[in-house]
Amino acid sequence: MRKLLDLTFRAAAVLCALLACLIFGWIVSAIVWRGFSVVNWRFLTEPMRLAGAEGGIFHNLIGTLILLSTALIVTTPLSVGTALVTAFYIQSERWRRLCLLCLYVLNGVPSLLFGLFGFIVFVSFFGWGKSWLTGGILLGFMILPTVSVALVERLRSLPPLRMEAAAGLGLSRSRIVWFVLLPQCLGGWVSGSFLGLARAAGETAPILFTATIFAGASIPSGIKENPVLTLPYHIFILAQDSFDQAIGGKVWGTALVLLMLAFCMSLVVLPVRLRIHEEADHV
Amino acid sequence: MTGIRALETESVQAQKLARRVSLTQWTSWVLCLIALTSLAALVLVLIHESWPVWRVAGIDYLAGKQWLSSRHLFGAAPMIYGTMAVAIIALGCAAPIGIGAAICTSELLPRRARLTVKILVELLAGVPSVVYGLLGVLVLRGWVYDLLEPLDPLSGDTLLTGGLLVGVMILPTILTLSDDALRGVPASLRAAARGLGLNARETICRVVLPQAIPGIIAAILLALGRALGEMIAVFLVVGRQDNQWPERLWSVTPLISPGQTLASKLGGSEIHIAHGDPLHWAAMVGLGLLLLGMAGGAAAAAFLLQQKQLRHAQAS
Repeated sequence: MRKLLDLTFRAAAVLCALLACLIFGWIVSAIVWRGFSVVNWRFLTEPMRLAGAEGGIFHNLIGTLILLSTALIVTTPLSVGTALVTAFYIQSERWRRLCLLCLYVLNGVPSLLFGLFGFIVFVSFFGWGKSWLTGGILLGFMILPTVSVALVERLRSLPPLRMEAAAGLGLSRSRIVWFVLLPQCLGGWVSGSFLGLARAAGETAPILFTATIFAGASIPSGIKENPVLTLPYHIFILAQDSFDQAIGGKVWGTALVLLMLAFCMSLVVLPVRLRIHEEADHV
Repeated sequence: MTGIRALETESVQAQKLARRVSLTQWTSWVLCLIALTSLAALVLVLIHESWPVWRVAGIDYLAGKQWLSSRHLFGAAPMIYGTMAVAIIALGCAAPIGIGAAICTSELLPRRARLTVKILVELLAGVPSVVYGLLGVLVLRGWVYDLLEPLDPLSGDTLLTGGLLVGVMILPTILTLSDDALRGVPASLRAAARGLGLNARETICRVVLPQAIPGIIAAILLALGRALGEMIAVFLVVGRQDNQWPERLWSVTPLISPGQTLASKLGGSEIHIAHGDPLHWAAMVGLGLLLLGMAGGAAAAAFLLQQKQLRHAQAS
């Protein structure tokens, strides 16, 4: 009886893991199978025609890349500053925990609410209309907790010996920050940023009201009233009326491109992520 | 970090340096304040913009079962119900599978197989929500319709469809974080339990799981936060039918009919219509505030639990 129970338990656990892998396999194969025949060089380099039924996704791809690079530019100084304060400058443990709590809550804010906030503040109050800059700023704030926490963890895991040596050489605190801490946490910055960007690439909710339209935009030439086309919004709109066969193929192709974009960014940070999780059990 | 602090208390030279606020330190503080005040700004803006509806409708805004914008009736109860229903269905599907799979990866599998599963799960976590939405619209919706065929449903757009889809989306979150929690349990405990003659199931259920339970609850709470706030995928498959307050709260029928969640309401085109009418607009933003309270609360609770377990682990 005991043995039987043990066996059932193990079998159930393995089955669960198998199911998780199967779901993943099914999702990827479903997208690849339907989208593979559409994606080619022309699909990536031609602008969209006939409301998505013809042509490619050139401007959508460019728009998404514009938003992502803006988000990276916005989030880098903010998250480095936040991480330095949280891990280095704050002296009291209580305030540090409060800072971390804020970051975790910010991480838990549904992305839709960033969109709502952006709509109220940037679109209406500042009068920017739909603008790529709003989208970039919102996505930047959205991935800020991810990048900051990765940096904080990296900073706190640095051996104290490094800083003692630096201080012993007579370096001031600022110099320790610039020449010891920041170079050391480059890895944390890369992994946090790419993890955040992989998430941001597929986000539709924050940019829905603030930065993106379905058709009629190309490369932005200013800030106000300069929306961009994006991959996720393209899929979002086409998914709502995907009965047309021609559109059907294109939307799967777009999904495949977006999926690959996100996977590439996840894959870059995979070794770092796995090492962090693998190290967790030796503590 | 502790090293440099210890040094400072010892050396007068370093104390002098620490007291002088440098440009680097000043800039860091400013950037940190900008980052953290964004959270406060988010909360304050939502409260400010939704203030009229709280003043006019008061508690009826939460308890009201009717949302008729033309008659200025704003009751959010059906949407709160829809949000909770989707989240509970999602957790009901994802939590057992996720925790089971986490037990498998952390306790049963050899290292190489575990790494394979974890790589797949990391990638699964990176699938954009709009891609889930697309699969939901074109595949899952049909499956749910076929499944419910005997009950003669109106369409495949139901709260159940949304819940299943969100369940798949939060599976990686639960799996990864539960796995971390389980692996945080010291190996010596396992060895001791096995040494006493307990088999794998007994070791896991009686020794490892009780130790890891705060971390697993934190994982579930974080997943709950994501499930509550998920908009794009839910929007596409939930049916977006207003005023679906169930006659009996625990009956199954409303779950297999179209519904509306807080997020799917906010994502719809109504937000543009509402912008002209102050009270209607306030009611829409109020939904965002409710969502923020629910999701932010879940995230904060998860953080506190994790911290508690971390201190517990450090103490033992």
